[in-house]
Amino acid sequence: MGRLSIRWLLSELPKLEAEGVIDASAADRLRTHYAEETSGSGRRLVVAIFAVFGALLIGGGVILLLAHNWEAFGRGTRAAIALAPLLASQAMVGWVLVRKGESTAWREGSATLLALTVATAVALVDQTYHTGGDLESFLWRWSLLLAPLPWLLNSTAVAMLFLAALTWWAGAAKVEGSQILMMWPLAAAVVPHLVHVMRSERRGLRAANLQWAIAIFLCVAAGLGLDNRVPGLWIVIYVGLFALMITLGAVNRRGEEGLWRRPLEMVGITGSIVMWLILSFDEPWRHIGWKHIYSTEKFLEVSSWLDEVLAVGLPLAAIVAMALLLDRGRHRLHLLWGLSVPLVAVVWPLTAATDSRWIGAVAFTLLLFVVGVATIVEGVRRQNLGTVNLGMLVVALLVVVRFFDSGFGFILKGLAFILVGIGFLVANVLLSRSLRAGEEEAK
Amino acid sequence: MNRRLGLALFVVVALVQLAVAGGAIVKSEIALRTGEAFRFRIQPVDPVDAFRGRYVAIRFAVDRAPAPEDLDVKSGKRVFLPIEIDADGYAIFGQASAEKPMSGPYLRLRAGGIYPDEEGNRFVWVTMPFRRYYMDEDLAPDAGRAGWSGRRGQREASVGVRVRGGVGVIEDLYIDDVPIHQWLAENADNR
Repeated sequence: MGRLSIRWLLSELPKLEAEGVIDASAADRLRTHYAEETSGSGRRLVVAIFAVFGALLIGGGVILLLAHNWEAFGRGTRAAIALAPLLASQAMVGWVLVRKGESTAWREGSATLLALTVATAVALVDQTYHTGGDLESFLWRWSLLLAPLPWLLNSTAVAMLFLAALTWWAGAAKVEGSQILMMWPLAAAVVPHLVHVMRSERRGLRAANLQWAIAIFLCVAAGLGLDNRVPGLWIVIYVGLFALMITLGAVNRRGEEGLWRRPLEMVGITGSIVMWLILSFDEPWRHIGWKHIYSTEKFLEVSSWLDEVLAVGLPLAAIVAMALLLDRGRHRLHLLWGLSVPLVAVVWPLTAATDSRWIGAVAFTLLLFVVGVATIVEGVRRQNLGTVNLGMLVVALLVVVRFFDSGFGFILKGLAFILVGIGFLVANVLLSRSLRAGEEEAK
Repeated sequence: MNRRLGLALFVVVALVQLAVAGGAIVKSEIALRTGEAFRFRIQPVDPVDAFRGRYVAIRFAVDRAPAPEDLDVKSGKRVFLPIEIDADGYAIFGQASAEKPMSGPYLRLRAGGIYPDEEGNRFVWVTMPFRRYYMDEDLAPDAGRAGWSGRRGQREASVGVRVRGGVGVIEDLYIDDVPIHQWLAENADNR
């Protein structure tokens, strides 16, 4: 049971006791039982976190020490130095697998150390023999060697390291102009581990951390992986991706959990705000769509197909997920944020067909405004300050961006600002009146 | 997952990790111990790598070889370049081929494509595998500068490469025919 649920249960006990649902001894037994569980799990968590950070720092320190390049040692010594930490951490992981498999701290800590000593070994051999090519080639070999570890050692820390290394490789390779299609199948190596963690400890910290890593990886990878043969496909792909994240996050959530335990929603909402703000300018909408397909450069056929599959698949998946999984009453806010998907499905083809940049810019400006205001209203209705603040943040960002936007004349901007300001004041008066009426009714 | 199976799989993965690191050692050691020695002209500069430390980035003066009319290799495919010696004693490439040469030293490299030069001669461009000479973090910047700061403008820089069975491994970096560490020691004042 999650810690929040336990806290809730413990807070309910006096009431249950007073109302005679359970007797005093049962309440005490529940208290002792859950007190032990929470204190134990907290301590175990701290131990695991310290183990991972300890391993990260030691491994990182070894890498830095070796990067100094100790030329005075002969090649034989350096080869031994390269392999010794690797062998030692392999032995340690083997011992943990046999003896301490149940301990998260031992498993995560030793696996993290192994992940870093693999890097050390490969790096030092490269350094000693001046081989191994660019950073890109190093990161690729490291990612390949890390790929089986998250699943094999049941280690979330290594899964996060692996995704980071893989993303870094993809970025470096993209800059060099290399193909990075292999990123997707290799990234799938974390899926078995994800399934395992979601099954065994869905509410745990490891599940949350892993989802953060995957969500952030997907955001970056979606952009890096694009072939960009058809300009502007990224608009549809990102809008679809973020809506899908918000939806899946909402479905996965149980009750009120802290922000850190809602990675998909957090990344989806943050990503949506940033993406919509970008799309509220007319520049991203310039020269998009099938009329402007790049024909001068060479593209990989498979890669451009993947672009198109994602551009159709992600928004579709988001719509289907919203329709099937979300509850119209409980998830009103999430459905509201999902409005971007049907909007982009109309606006994108329209812009591509007409080459009118302003359609998209106006549509997303309106979307930001509507979603912002509706989020504020929803927050007020539910008396949830966080939601109210989110809505205000959206509106405020929109205001700032438009204020400095040079795309419109000063008179037009000025008038629009004044009109919207008046709208807020009127809404304010109406809202406070209805609130007062509600309070009087309650009395 | 069954613990014994998990352990067995981990042993396999651990062996692969060792083999990747160890294999690179063995491959390089064979070339360095038994390979033939060559010198390639280069142009050095000095950057840094987060994992592997400072190095002198190497751009080879020769990164192409004459291609016969019938040679047809796609970009990224293997190509064999026989090594010859020019009048100054530096290594250059002979006619490229898709097959391993019957005799003589050669390098097995990745082709970057075949293009004619200004005079219409066909050349196959290659990605040289030696692109970095890793050095002590204090010395690498000096080594990088050394190649550029000669009184006559640019000093002659080259790398010594040992070649065996198509595999080449860098042995040393030279400035004006002097090994880099010796050169840096001798020129400690005026660099």
